[in-house]
Parts: sequence; C-alpha cells; structure tokens
Amino acid sequence: MAISLAESLHLGILDILTRKVRSAVTVIGIVLGVMCIMVVLAIVNGMNKTTMEWMSQRGGLSKVEVRPNWGYDFSKGGDPSLSLREIQLIRELVPQATAFNAQIPLPESEMQLGDSGYLCSVLGVYPDMLKVEEWKLAKGRFINDFDITNHNNVVVLGSTVARELFNSRDPLGRYVSWGGHRFMVVGVLGERYLKNQGTGDTFGENGLEYLNQRAFLPLSTVISRINPKLRISSLELQAASPEKAKEMRKQVEDIVLNLKQGKALFRVDSAQEQMDMMRKNTMIFTSIFILIAVISLLVGGIVIMNIMLASVKERTREIGVRIAVGARRRDIVVQFLVQTVLITALGGVIGILLGYAILDLVGGYLKLEVAASVRMIWTALLVSIGVGLLFGIMPAVRAGKLDPIEALREE
Amino acid sequence: MAEIIATKNLIKDYNLGKVKVRALNGVDLTIEAGEFVAIMGPSGSGKSTLMHIIGCLDSPTGGEYQLDGVLVSQMDKDDLASIRNSKIGFVFQSFNLLPHLNILKNVELPLMYAGESLRERSRKAREILASVGLSDRLRHKPSELSGGQRQRVAIARAIVNNPAILLADEPTGNLDSQAGGDILEIFTQLHSQGNTVIIVTHDKAVAQRAGRIIRIMDGRIEDGHLAG
Repeated sequence: MAISLAESLHLGILDILTRKVRSAVTVIGIVLGVMCIMVVLAIVNGMNKTTMEWMSQRGGLSKVEVRPNWGYDFSKGGDPSLSLREIQLIRELVPQATAFNAQIPLPESEMQLGDSGYLCSVLGVYPDMLKVEEWKLAKGRFINDFDITNHNNVVVLGSTVARELFNSRDPLGRYVSWGGHRFMVVGVLGERYLKNQGTGDTFGENGLEYLNQRAFLPLSTVISRINPKLRISSLELQAASPEKAKEMRKQVEDIVLNLKQGKALFRVDSAQEQMDMMRKNTMIFTSIFILIAVISLLVGGIVIMNIMLASVKERTREIGVRIAVGARRRDIVVQFLVQTVLITALGGVIGILLGYAILDLVGGYLKLEVAASVRMIWTALLVSIGVGLLFGIMPAVRAGKLDPIEALREE
Repeated sequence: MAEIIATKNLIKDYNLGKVKVRALNGVDLTIEAGEFVAIMGPSGSGKSTLMHIIGCLDSPTGGEYQLDGVLVSQMDKDDLASIRNSKIGFVFQSFNLLPHLNILKNVELPLMYAGESLRERSRKAREILASVGLSDRLRHKPSELSGGQRQRVAIARAIVNNPAILLADEPTGNLDSQAGGDILEIFTQLHSQGNTVIIVTHDKAVAQRAGRIIRIMDGRIEDGHLAG
C-alpha cells in the first residue's frame, strides 16, 4: 500500500507550488551550472565543426606544408627559399606523396584585358595545386606537366578575376597581359566559399574570397620568363591518409633541414597535427568551463541539501502527522527525494532554456557557429536529476528516520 | 462482545542516558468493541506512553498487545504503519492538520496512504466531511476555520478509513466549552453508531460521557470501573 510514483510527483509539485520563492532560490545554482554546460558544449561543438570545415576546404587532413619559419632569426644568415632544383629533389625523395605543389607568390600587379584591368595576386604553381587545395575547375583545364616542361605562357584565373575581366564572355583562348607578358587563358577555377565567422563584415561574408582573386601560372614559366632570381618559399604535399601525413611531415622536415645545413629556416606542418593541437587547445578550454560548471552544480547541490534539511526540520510535524495516518518510512523518503529531484530537474530545464537563449544571442550577434544537440539536452537533464538524487538522499533519509512521537510533539 | 484491545503485562522502558525509566509497569487492559473509554491520570503517569502503544506509534519493551485480534507488539515498523492506517484513527489536542492543504486534501490523506484511487478518496472524504457538517468548506485551508471546525476536520480524517478504534488525545483541550461540547457530542454520536472510542483526558466532563474510566498511575492501571 505504498503510494505510487505518480502520487509522489503530485505531492512534489504541490510542495513546490506551495513554496515558490524557496524553490526558485534553491534552484539557482543548478540553473547556472546547466546553462554553463550547455553554452560551453555548444560553442566548442561549433568551433570544432568550423575548424573541420575550414580544414577540409583547405585541402583536408592529409596535407603537409613547408613554409618559412618566421620564428627563426634570419639575421644570423640564411634565406627561407628553395631553388627549383631543391624542390625537384624533395619531389623525388618523397615519391609516396599523392600530390606535390610548390608556389611562388608574385608582387600584386594589374592583369589587363584591352582597356580593363584587375589588380590580382598571381602565383606560380605546379599542376598538383588543384589536388592539394581540393579545388575544382569551372571551365577549361588547369596547368599541366607539359606547361611546366615547356615553360608555356598560360594562365588559369580565379572566379572573381575571370568575372571582373570578362563578365559573361568566354575567357578561354583569350590573351591577358600581366607584368609586361602575354598569357593565354586556358582555364577558370570554381568559386571557393566558406561562410565567414565572427563579426567581420570588413572581410566580407566569404572567408575564402581572397582565393577567388588569384591567378595561376606554371612555376617554371615564372622563374624562366618573369624573374630567374625568384626562389620558392612554400611547398605543399598530400599524403595518402592523415596518419601517413604525420610520417611524411617528419621525413620532409629532415630533408629540408639537411638541405639548409641544419638551420630551421622552414616550418613543416601537417594539417592533422595542427588539428590535434587545436583540439587539445579547445579541450583545455572545455575542461576549464566544465570544471566551473561542475563546481557550480556541486555548490548548487549543497545549497539544495541545506534547504531540504531546513525544510525537513520545518516540516517535522507534518511528517509526524503523515506517519500517524499510515505513511511508511519509504513513503516519506520518496516524498522528499522526489521533491528534490523535481526541483533540480526544473532547474535543469530552466538552465537549458536560458542556455538556448544565450546561444541564440551568441550565434546572432557574435556570428559564432554554435551547435547544440539533443544529446546535450538529455545530458543536462540527467545531470540535474543526478544532482537532485545525490544531494536529496540525505535530507530525505533523515525525514524518514523521524520518530513520530517526537515529530508530533514538535512545535 | 469481542475484545478489540487486549494487553497483557505491557512494559515500556525508556533509556534516558544511563538511567532506565519504566513508563509502563505491567499494564493489563481489555477494551471491548463498541466501548467508550476515558483514560485519565496525572502527567508522568504513563498515559501518553500507553496511548502511543495503543496507537501503534510505539512498541512495548515487554508484554503483549493484541489489536482487533492481531498481535501487534511484535510487528515491524512497516506493518505498524499499515495498522495505523487501517485500524486506528487519531485525534490530537492540537488538531495536526497540514496547513498548506485544504480540508478535503487533509481528510484524503489516510486514503492516499491506503492506496485508494483519486476518485474514491474524494468521494469518501466528501461524505465524511458532510457528516461532520463541513460540506461548504471543502476548499478552505485549516487556518480559515475555527478551532471547533478544525477538530471536526481532524475527526473526519480519523474516521474516513473506517478504523477499528478512534483514539483521541485531549481532543477538547484547545477548545472553548461550546466547541468542546460540540466535539464531545460527535464522539458520543460515533460511539452510539458502534465505534470504539478511547479518549485520553484530564477533563472530568469528558470522562463523564465515557462508559468506563481507566485511571493510570505510575505506569499501572489503578482500577477500571464503570463511570457514573
């Protein structure tokens, strides 16, 4: 003849409604804790999602990059550049690379078509650039090995460059001039797009627009016809998998170090390792906030325990009456425990709603990518119920242990 | 008539620190079904202890206690809870209504712990409250009622589950003589309907209504004789 759970819930709701203010105060710690967890997890999820997207847009996790090491003190001598021959040597020593690209950025200069011109960055590259950057062609073809061998005067335009110079006309087969040289347009690249994060209206809404404003020449043409003194300062390789990229990074680093007599003139990074690093950093960030959330949940729990203990004391006579009319220990324990859990669960729900409101603001005004998931909601709810059980059990058991005779005597 | 309460050599000891105090010292008591009994005695005589044991709020240290043919002196706490729920109705001097519940919910309380359905609870509670003349106050909180009305709610709560005995501890102690008289009238009426009524009291007026007065002194029953 125990009272049912539904009955206990009913009693609990009644108790909470009877003591609205107290219940509200009781629950603040839980609300803050749950809110904190929600917001942090959603922001971290959003950040990871953005990073992943960015990484895959920039050639995925199998990429290995060689770039000048700007942390190196170049005044001690040394120049962060590689000759065409050194590049060729690396290419031969790392045959397992599925793609290989070196590039030379040229000074910005106007690209001209008849009377119209467009200021664009021009780079000398290898044919594999397309693969390394996972870039698609919109029309025509890209620079090929034949162009490299023959130092052909051909150019491939970024989508913005093509649009600015040719509008809707077909650029293929037409000649443009740049830096006093004429180049035949053989291809146009597809548009690169990534929604910009943050408030940066200054950068436009496309975070990759700078890529669309580029034009590409064969690397050999750049060195032989434009400026024989040019050196190569960056290199990209693609491995078969993100795991293989880690090994390849080490190998390429050793080669470059040997070429430069042990001077660390270059940095060699693998996208996977950069990603791991970023993950580690967000993990630290996440852990700190989760710790804060846990502490606020614990404090919230202790506050609840305290208030429930006071409530048991205050309601001693009521407990006595309930026992006198037939409540068993278990009924009393369940009544107080259910009430505590109801309060914390309610706090959890409020915390989730507030968390959503904050995420909405963060996502709306700061234009930060946030990703709240259904699983997070369940987690938050379960955590708040857990706090209720953990901190509610002691006051509830104390209520159940009351001696009815003493309890009825209580004023 | 059947014995509803039978105690044999009932003993109750309390440990107050290292001192052992004997509150009941061999109480033999028999109460027949349908009797109206008053238990009287000075403070410290053991009458409260006796009432707690009769009411199954406490267990004796020694001896036997049979309630309605069931040996309750050996029962565990859960069994005692169900005995309190189904066989005993309590009426207290200070009413002991739950202040945040309306009087209907107060009267439904024993039915809830008996596991009755919501509908059945409400039906029975309304019926009982009607019989004590409080049908028009179902949604009132105890604080909105007079002392006499509160005690009528408490009586309704005590009898709503059809207990074998109605146990009242100074039921008129907090009431003026008018309200006290009304409450006594209800007890008399319940007795005349066949209920077993046991009242613990100091009040001679109350005791005079009883069919029998049991006097208790130093943990023993002095004599049990017919009143009047």
